[in-house]
Amino acid sequence: MSVIDTINNLIKIVGDAVADLVVGILGAGQIADLVIMGLGALVLCTAVALTFMGMTWAERKVVARIQNRVGPNQAGPFGLLQPIADGIKMFTKEDTTPASADRWVYNAAPLIIATFALLTFSVLPFAPGVVGANINIGVFFVIAVGSASTVAILMAGWGSNNKYSLLGAFRTVAQLVGYEVPMLLNVIPVIVLSGSMSLVDIVQRQTLADGNPGIPFIVYLPLSALAFFIAGVAETGRSPFDLLEAESEIVAGFHVEYSGMKFALFMLGEYVNTLAVSIVFVILFLGGYAGPILPSYIWLLIKTALVFFVFMWLRGTLPRVRVDQLMALNWKVMVPLSVVNIIAVLILAKVFVTSPGLQSANGGILVAPEAQALILFVANIVILLSGLSIMARRARVLRLAEEAQIESRRAANRATASNFIGGAPAK
Amino acid sequence: MTISQILFIVMSLVVLGGGVMVVAARNLFHAALFLILSFFGVTGLYLLLDASFFAAAQFLVYIGAISILVIFAVMLTRGAMAAQPANSQWPAALVVSAILFAIIAVIVGPIAVTIGERQFGDVSWPSVVEGQPVPAVPDDILVRLGQSFVDFNQYAALFLLAAVLILVAMVGAIWVARDRTPREVIEERAELAEESQDMAPPQHQLPVKNAEAVEAPTAGH
Repeated sequence: MSVIDTINNLIKIVGDAVADLVVGILGAGQIADLVIMGLGALVLCTAVALTFMGMTWAERKVVARIQNRVGPNQAGPFGLLQPIADGIKMFTKEDTTPASADRWVYNAAPLIIATFALLTFSVLPFAPGVVGANINIGVFFVIAVGSASTVAILMAGWGSNNKYSLLGAFRTVAQLVGYEVPMLLNVIPVIVLSGSMSLVDIVQRQTLADGNPGIPFIVYLPLSALAFFIAGVAETGRSPFDLLEAESEIVAGFHVEYSGMKFALFMLGEYVNTLAVSIVFVILFLGGYAGPILPSYIWLLIKTALVFFVFMWLRGTLPRVRVDQLMALNWKVMVPLSVVNIIAVLILAKVFVTSPGLQSANGGILVAPEAQALILFVANIVILLSGLSIMARRARVLRLAEEAQIESRRAANRATASNFIGGAPAK
Repeated sequence: MTISQILFIVMSLVVLGGGVMVVAARNLFHAALFLILSFFGVTGLYLLLDASFFAAAQFLVYIGAISILVIFAVMLTRGAMAAQPANSQWPAALVVSAILFAIIAVIVGPIAVTIGERQFGDVSWPSVVEGQPVPAVPDDILVRLGQSFVDFNQYAALFLLAAVLILVAMVGAIWVARDRTPREVIEERAELAEESQDMAPPQHQLPVKNAEAVEAPTAGH
């Protein structure tokens, strides 16, 4: 095996060596399997928690730059030790519990949110052969596990026994449950094109036979990618959809009563969910770990960092949306467009097939992958533009009607006022 | 005892314990949370059966959505925090659940019961023979599930019915939440006022006085 191959498969080689070591000590069997899986889970959780520390630092630096500030620069070079300082601060803070809190519910909520946020990573492929469990329902599993945070946030809001917490929890439920719908709807076109729900298969479908990157699904499905990203931002509750913790309205929302490490667990949950959504976006639409020259895990890191940069960019620049705008965007724009998009993709993927096997089985026109990508791209863009233009026209009609009404009311008022000139009866 | 047996026992305990606590918990909110715990145990049982699609569906639908609905219903219930949710209906509930349990036990259980002409029960479940490997779940099980949904000899009609139901629900939700035009708002208020006039005794008709005050300037002119 050459040096380049060794570097490319570094994670897999180290993992296999550790697995062999464990089998050598314990002998092959269920207990050895359990130990290997436990070690894998430990390494994965630690890596994700370390990434969380890096993400908090990066976010503070980037948002500071966007807002013309410096950001953390005192602890260590470039403020790199800031997350550690934050951690020490969190550990030494007093762990308060409100006197009237629902104690069990209050204490369980941060644990649940952190656990299920970490659970998502068990099915994500990080490099060829490096995946916790390649299950055949990968995407569905990720979205299902992500929905557990709704329950945890509701528990936190109720358990704190604070009106701001409960308001934040209510907002969360409306937002997270609502945005799960477009998230699932926009995964469906990807499943249709790749013919599988397994994340490994989805990455392989975007990779050429020689391991080089093929056409990523963002080229096939720009509308789905955009809608999935917006839904992802809303699902993680980040700005501009951070109504669940709007500081200016409900203090800090559902986690207003939490302090110390419990608060840190909520932060961990938020950032880990963001990381998970970024990686899932990379896997679904940007070709996953496939890339030329550099090792695959480095490519995954670069792509994820790019997606997370867009997250930070949005946070640094956009103001918070109103509740009615949030709901209108979801139910009146994203869901209808996604449904139309699914129908179009289903029909086009059936008519224009890329593999001879599918053609002989189901009929259809055999085209090159590039041609299929072009057809779907054009269809997506047409749906997006026509949908937006219909909505713009509708909004214009509504606005004109409103203006006309205001104008007629004014005219009526003027008429009444002129009647009173010279002898209006005193009220 | 294998690890999967231990997991099965743990998950069964979670399901049953959660179920018992749903009816035993004093606080309605806690009862809803124990219901979620019970759902979670069912998810684990599905996973042990290698039915990963159903496990994820159970998690997404029951834990992610239905339990939220239940919790909302609990929060909107008056006196949700009251310490005494039990009432005098428990004997009726006991009878109904006992009958339901008996029916299910007969249908899936090993005892043959003959009612009229038909015979129920005595189901021969596929079992694992000692020393033989457990038959593996086929790889294309999801594909087969999907095909059975669009096969007209299997579940296509039911699948289409469910799809229409969901579409109607979605359109209905958008219709309910639409922007009202001022005319619609006035009409709806008039309907509401009519209803409340029918319902309420006459001394509650306060708006009459206000209406006179509003109309006074034009009347006086």
